[in-house]
Amino acid sequence: MARFEEYREPPRALEGIRVVELPCLDTMPFMAGAMAAKSFADFGAEVIKVEPPRIGAQERRLGPFRDEMPDPETGGLHLFLNTNKLGVTLNLEDRRTRDLLFRLLESTDVVLNPNQPALNQRLAIDWRTLTARFPKLIVVSMTFFGDESPYRDYRGGDLIATHMSGVGWETPYHQVLDLAKEPPLRSGGRQSDYLTGYTAASAAMCALFARRRSGVGQHVDVSQWLAMVSMMRPMLGVHSHEATTSAGYIRLTQRHKTGAQWVYPCLDGWVSFNAGTERFWQGAKRAMGEPAWMNEELFKTPQSRALHIDAIEAGLLDWLSGVTRKEAFERAQGQHVPCFPVNSPAEVAGNEQYAARRFFVNHDHPAAREVRMPGAPCGFSRTPWRIVRGAPRLGEHNRKIFAQRLAIAEAELKALAEEGVV
Amino acid sequence: MGALPFEGIRIADFGWIFAVPHATAWLGALGADVIRIESTRAPDLVRFLTGTDGKIGINRSGVFNSINTSRRSLTLNLAKPAAQEIARRIVAKSDIVTENYTVGNMIKYGLSYADLVKVKPDIIMMSGTPLGQSGPYANTVGFGPTTQAFAGLCQITGYPDSTPCGIGGTWPDFAVGTGMVFFLLAALHHRDRTGEGQYLDLSMAEMVTTMMPEAMMEYLVSGHDPLPLGNRDDAMAPHGVFLTAGEDRWIAIAIASDDEFAALAEVLGVPSLARDPMYLRLGNRLANVDSLEREIAARARNFDRDELVGRLRERNIATGPVYNAAEVIADPAFQSSGMLVTLNHGEAGARAVPGMPVRFSAIAPDYFGAPMMGEHTDQVLTELLGMSAEEISRLRANEVIV
Repeated sequence: MARFEEYREPPRALEGIRVVELPCLDTMPFMAGAMAAKSFADFGAEVIKVEPPRIGAQERRLGPFRDEMPDPETGGLHLFLNTNKLGVTLNLEDRRTRDLLFRLLESTDVVLNPNQPALNQRLAIDWRTLTARFPKLIVVSMTFFGDESPYRDYRGGDLIATHMSGVGWETPYHQVLDLAKEPPLRSGGRQSDYLTGYTAASAAMCALFARRRSGVGQHVDVSQWLAMVSMMRPMLGVHSHEATTSAGYIRLTQRHKTGAQWVYPCLDGWVSFNAGTERFWQGAKRAMGEPAWMNEELFKTPQSRALHIDAIEAGLLDWLSGVTRKEAFERAQGQHVPCFPVNSPAEVAGNEQYAARRFFVNHDHPAAREVRMPGAPCGFSRTPWRIVRGAPRLGEHNRKIFAQRLAIAEAELKALAEEGVV
Repeated sequence: MGALPFEGIRIADFGWIFAVPHATAWLGALGADVIRIESTRAPDLVRFLTGTDGKIGINRSGVFNSINTSRRSLTLNLAKPAAQEIARRIVAKSDIVTENYTVGNMIKYGLSYADLVKVKPDIIMMSGTPLGQSGPYANTVGFGPTTQAFAGLCQITGYPDSTPCGIGGTWPDFAVGTGMVFFLLAALHHRDRTGEGQYLDLSMAEMVTTMMPEAMMEYLVSGHDPLPLGNRDDAMAPHGVFLTAGEDRWIAIAIASDDEFAALAEVLGVPSLARDPMYLRLGNRLANVDSLEREIAARARNFDRDELVGRLRERNIATGPVYNAAEVIADPAFQSSGMLVTLNHGEAGARAVPGMPVRFSAIAPDYFGAPMMGEHTDQVLTELLGMSAEEISRLRANEVIV
């Protein structure tokens, strides 16, 4: 008998963990729950994504759509955020739904809920109700301000968290010349939504490890605002260690350009550049071909350089005006100086570094045909990130989950569907 | 509340700067024994980034102290083979190794994954670098803020028709550190189930690119290379910041529905704006966003920022003051959030530093203050490796411990 090596897919790190993702029902787009659930699904947990019947989850409506033709099954954000998930529909506003949801939660380890405290209360899916009923369940709430915050009933979202955290105040990073014309700025994309998603995923894992010891689940309270404030921890440290009148403290309150600018124009675009430390300064000197001005007395020490930032920038810009992004990147990095080309999304997608690491992945999706998207956020040697199934069609797994797993009778399921419950 | 979730887990932490120390701070607060391995020969530059009470010093950095909580510090001069051997002995008694040196440094020290599995077969090791361990540009150096340019994020951040920008909050260092917690715990979960360790190769740029799906998918689905939107959003309008009375005081407002827009117009004293065909529906408002923003800016300028925030919140509108860091800290809801904890530090004394941004109903994190350089060298070498006082002083004399 011929012997064949059995073909085996690599194992997945989170196999065996069961997650339920609830939809955000706010009018504010809030991708945190979808991102947290994607992290679990992409590393092998079973994630059941619950969506409102007919309209589906928020991201299905946000595009981007091919040829600008809206289609809830083929929007780019939906295809990216919902990889590896099973999809069911439930109308959380309907009482009968709650029974179905509760039966689902009986065999669930983690429920990810991106809804606001008042709504959870009204729908009787608040964390106290859930943890009391399912003592082993880990209930992760992702709210704008925190479940116990005095601001718990205020609405927020990406823009608000960005600007209430101090991150928007610091953006553009140390580049603001004209306060009135250059307002505090949001980062591209919904950074605080995705940060909140990663924060929730990490915290949920902590709670899973805690449950192994204690045998019980718990509530994990994730605040989008605090997740963003957490990015400001250097400033919090300055605040508690220095007087408000000190020189370092100025960075907590000033938006004016304070020195180290980060992004500079060159021949064919922009580069980021940092020659802030002594080592980087010496490296930059070599990269730029030892120009005479860099050896002047003014620039001898880090302290004296800090006083002559404008002159340094003028010299740097002069050098950059004669080199391309690639030349600046390779020459500076050749001397171990932090410098990178400013790549556009198209350039990232075509970039040789990303290509060499096979970062972008293709897969066939039944509705969207061939899809290409960003892949692993981290390389795992033994349990690699991978796509086992593409994003589910709306309600694709209703039968599998409700009829097969929860043993809901076909007739009952049909009746619920007709009434718009599932 | 019982035992902490990571009691009994040890992390040999060669990490520095921001991202890795942020990740290990989470795990240390939840019970892991994090041993920070550092050296006075090549100290973390964060140790000198800022000072305490006006004085800079290796143990006086407020920034360092706010990031490196809940760990011990041991100093080793990794240029010396004897120090490398001690590091391997520590790894042999650890579950996780974390590092974010330039690619190649750990190999030079005999501390690569291949070296470490020999002393601890089920070790989990994570390396964090700007562009990852492989590929033509693996050998780059960079901090988060410089690296985000490569990842595409600077290009989509900025005012419309203007230059690309860097993002505040030393983006993306702490975001990457937050994600690292998840990756390490996923690997630990797998090890506990199967007995298998593994190597994690994290590229900061790649993780950043996973956090910008709107822009990436726009290109990958439609072929259109997106441009910066300023504070705007393509699914909401108005969506921006507006100057209020006084100097450089701004309010952020995000309107997600027509009803919300009507409420905003009312509070601003121009209810007719919501009936104007130019602004009636979202599509109209997006099409006329320049004039819409001018209309709102003209009214917002007459309001006190916090008063307007209060009135809009009453109408259930997503809004908030645009805070600088000092105002965030002063906010009573931040003060009562439990995120700031007062910890003791050997040289700086009792100081308020940030803890985790999440709350657990059944875990009370055990935070303790950042270590002074080498504060626990003797303790770790004695308790963990059973070294005698004589051995340790010999290592000091030989500049293995520095």
